[in-house]
This record gives sequence, structure tokens and C-alpha cells, in this order.
Amino acid sequence: MKRRRLSGLAVSVLGVLLTAQPLKRLTAQHFSIGPEVAFGDYREVSSDLHYRGVGGGATATVTWKKWSAHVAISKVTYKPTSDGTATQQFDAREVDVRLRYYVSGPISAELGFVNRKADPEFEAQSMGAITAGAHMGYLLGPGVHMALSGGLMFGPRFSGGGTISPLGALRLGLGLTVDALRGRLRFNGDYDFQRISRKTNDGSGELPAPIQQSLGRAGIAVAF
Amino acid sequence: MRTRLSLAVLFAFTAAPCVAQTIQNPTLRRAQQAFDNLDYRQALTVGQAALRERLTGYERARAYELLGFTYSGMDSILRGVDAFKQVILLEPERELDPTKTSSKALSAFQVALTQVLVIRQLHVDSVTFIGGQGAVAVRYTVTQPARVVARVVSGQTSLKIDSTVASGQVNIRWPARLPSGDPVPAGDYNVIVEAAIGQNNFATSLPIRISHGAVDTLPHLTSLPGYTYLPETEVPPKSWRPMGLASVYTGAALAGTAALSNGNLGSTSLREGGIIGAGLVVAGFVMTLKKPAPQAARGNILYNQLLREQISRRNTEIAQENTRRRQQVALNVVPLPRTGGVR
Repeated sequence: MKRRRLSGLAVSVLGVLLTAQPLKRLTAQHFSIGPEVAFGDYREVSSDLHYRGVGGGATATVTWKKWSAHVAISKVTYKPTSDGTATQQFDAREVDVRLRYYVSGPISAELGFVNRKADPEFEAQSMGAITAGAHMGYLLGPGVHMALSGGLMFGPRFSGGGTISPLGALRLGLGLTVDALRGRLRFNGDYDFQRISRKTNDGSGELPAPIQQSLGRAGIAVAF
Repeated sequence: MRTRLSLAVLFAFTAAPCVAQTIQNPTLRRAQQAFDNLDYRQALTVGQAALRERLTGYERARAYELLGFTYSGMDSILRGVDAFKQVILLEPERELDPTKTSSKALSAFQVALTQVLVIRQLHVDSVTFIGGQGAVAVRYTVTQPARVVARVVSGQTSLKIDSTVASGQVNIRWPARLPSGDPVPAGDYNVIVEAAIGQNNFATSLPIRISHGAVDTLPHLTSLPGYTYLPETEVPPKSWRPMGLASVYTGAALAGTAALSNGNLGSTSLREGGIIGAGLVVAGFVMTLKKPAPQAARGNILYNQLLREQISRRNTEIAQENTRRRQQVALNVVPLPRTGGVR
């Protein structure tokens, strides 16, 4: 209980510090933070384990010169769909961190990690992986940006074990941000698709146990 | 003929600069009366008698002028010339109105002018100029070939500004500088012109006032006349490019999702990508309808940069010019009313 109050206080202090930061110091950088609604589709092993869910989350971005960082956290409660055989719902807590470096034209390079935890632990695979890829951004109009990104996930670790081939874990993303109130408010939408060709071996040979998630996020953020 | 001559003389007298001065001497008045009555002999007798009396300079000049007109009317040109010479010596600036004077009197007056040495029509133009960059225009007329020396005098200061042998109109440009090159100090001066030929000499003067002032500095430029800054951004024409690109991005994402999906996991879910993609297409459509974002106009930016550099360079020159001007002095030269000076 005490721990929760302390973390809330820490977040408040951080918020105050960020907003109290003189604007002059922020002219070379941009920072935004805000809540999101997340909705997803999760499949594992076979078409029988099919879940869909809705949840919440938050996103934060920092831009400094050619660098930018994007952090998204979400918690989606996945419920079994009627076309599957799964009976138990689970919560998927995901942290997605990406560091981008602007290369040229619309292209930026991305490096980051993704971590997803399932609760209850045995209802779905928890996993973590390093991500690397490319991000292609385009200015649609004044204050409206869109982006297409894609990449690979390296060295994934699964709570239930298993391995993948070097090109067995892929991700694809689509993003949209719309600035409002002269850039003070930002509406954003993100789509993130993960396909992991996981294989397990219980001694009787390798068996495919793929994981696939489509996650959509839509939210609003305050920019500084 | 005599009547016309008398009327002409009468006009000449009334046109004379005698607004403030009148003839008080009764003898001269009688001479004038006799002349008006065309009694030239009486006018001569009484006029000569008046000259033997005590007259003011103005009355003496009028008496000689009356004799000049009378002799001219009597066709005694030489005597008329002699009388007019006295008039010119007494009043060097005297002019006869050619429209109101008989040709005989006029020719006698012109002959008289060539036979006496006087400096006439000394004139100094009002002028303002920066010391060292202008000059005061002085002009005068000398009636006979003579050595003419022009000086500017104030107290102990005497500056010779010209020395020449001349006849007729002479124009001088005086830079109003001391021998050291500095501008002459402010104050009242007399421009004295002396003419000498043999034993004859004549001098006249004109007072002038020289004052000093600050030289106007130049204002700094904010723009060059005829050149205006161009907008550094320009709005491109509307196009379907945002809508097209949004559709392409969305299509690529959905197609990629479908292509990458694992077939063992059932049909691909395009719900999430579809929702975000739909939002993207809507945004692209709105951006297509909306006025496009201004884009940098490189040519205009370069033009403005050149214009700014040009203005900056010109302002640097103006600053240097103003520094120089603050060390300069503006001379204002004004002629003052003449108080005499004939000798």
C-alpha cells in the first residue's frame, strides 16, 4: 500500500518537474505523455487458442535532435473467443521501448525491446526480446504524421521455453499522430503486429508453437 | 516729342527707389517742377543752383539725374553723360527702367556706366552646405577693366577670396574655409570687393552671416526601395497525395499482416490494423481537402538572404558615413541687409 502511494508521488513529482521545466530548455526537445486504450487479438500454438481483449495503457515519447525514444505500456485482458477452445482469460502486460535515430529522408533506424507478461502465468506465454528495424515517417499535413515500421525480434525468451530461427520473429507497425492546440495535445494511434514462429521440443522432436498478436492502441497525449 | 520725354522722365522718377526718401530741398523741387512743365532751361538753371546748396546724398543724386534727363532731352549728350556719371558714383546700383525711359537718356546712362569705375550688383547667394563640400556663390559687375580683389572680413580676420583683372560680370565660388582648411568660424562678415585702375578705385561691401549647424545624419535602412522581401514559405497546390500515401501505408500494413500471419493460427485478424488504418485514411482524406502545409521556398529564402546582406552592407556604410558626418559642420550663409559701404 505504502509502495503504491510512493510511486504515485514519484510520478507526480516527475510530472511537476517536467512541466516546470523552462520552455527555453525544451525548445531543442519535445516530450509527450498520455493514456491510451489498447485492443488486441492474441493467438498461440493453434487456431483453438484465440483471444481478443481490451485494456488500457500509456505512451511517452521524447525527441531530441535526431534521436527519439518511444515507450508504450499496456495491459490487455484477453478473453477466449467463441471459435476457440480456451476457457480462461488472462492479462497481458506489455512494455515496448524503442529508440530511433533519424537516418535520411523518411527513414529512421529503430532499436529496442519488448516484454510481455501473462497473468495467470500458465495461460499464455510471457516473452521478452530485443527489437531492431526501420521506421518510415511521412508528414501528411500540418501536424499530421504517419509511419510504417517493421523489424525483427532477436533472442526471444519465453516463459514456457522454445526457440525460433533467426528470422522467425517479425513485427510490423503502423502509426498516426495528429497534433492539436498548436502541438500541445497529440492524438495518436498505433498498430503493432507480432508473429513469432516458436518451436518447442519436449524430447520427441520439434513442434511448432507459434505466437501471433495484433495490438491496436489509440490515445491522447500532452506535449511539452 | 518733348511731352513723351517728360512723361518718361516722370515715370522714371516715380519708379526710382525713393519710397522711404523724399526730396525736401525747395530749389530741387522747383527744378523738378520746371522739368515737369517742360521748361528745360529753367530746370537746368534751378537744378544747378540746387547742387550748390546743401543736399542729402539722395537729393544730390536726384539733382544730377534731373540734369542728365534734361541734357538728354535737349540733345546735349556729353553733358547728359557727365550728369549720369555723377549719379552712378553716388548710387552705383541705380538702374533706369528701359520701358519708361527715353532712348536718348538710356544711351547716355549706358555711356556713363562705361566711363566710371564702380562695382555693381554685388550679390551673395543664401546657401547651406557641409564644410569642405560646397561653396558660396559671389557675383558682381565691374564697369571697367580693373584689378578686382574680393575679401571676406570680420574683425581681425581678413580672407582674400579672389584677385583678378576683370570687366563685366564676375562669378566667384568661395569654399568658406580658412587657410588651414577648417571651416570659417560662425559670425558676421563683410564681403568687400575693391576695384582699382590707375588712380581710380572703388570698393563696395555686402554683410553676410555665417552660422554653424550639425550635419544631418542618414537614417538606417530597413528596406531597399523597389525591393521587398518574398515569403519564405509557399503553399503547394492541393493534391491527393496525402490520401494516396495514407492508403498505401495502410494497405502495406494490412497486406504485410496478412502475408506474415501464420496459417496454423486461423484466419488473420485485421480488426486492429483496420481500425488504425481507417483512422489514417480518414486523416489523409482530411489533409487532402485541407490547405496543404506551407513549404520552404528555397529561391525566396536565398533572395531574402541576399536582400538582408545588401541592407546590412548598406547600413554599415551609412554608419561609417554618419560617423564622418558627426565630425563635420554645416555652414549656413545668409546675406544681410546692406548698410552702406561705398567709398
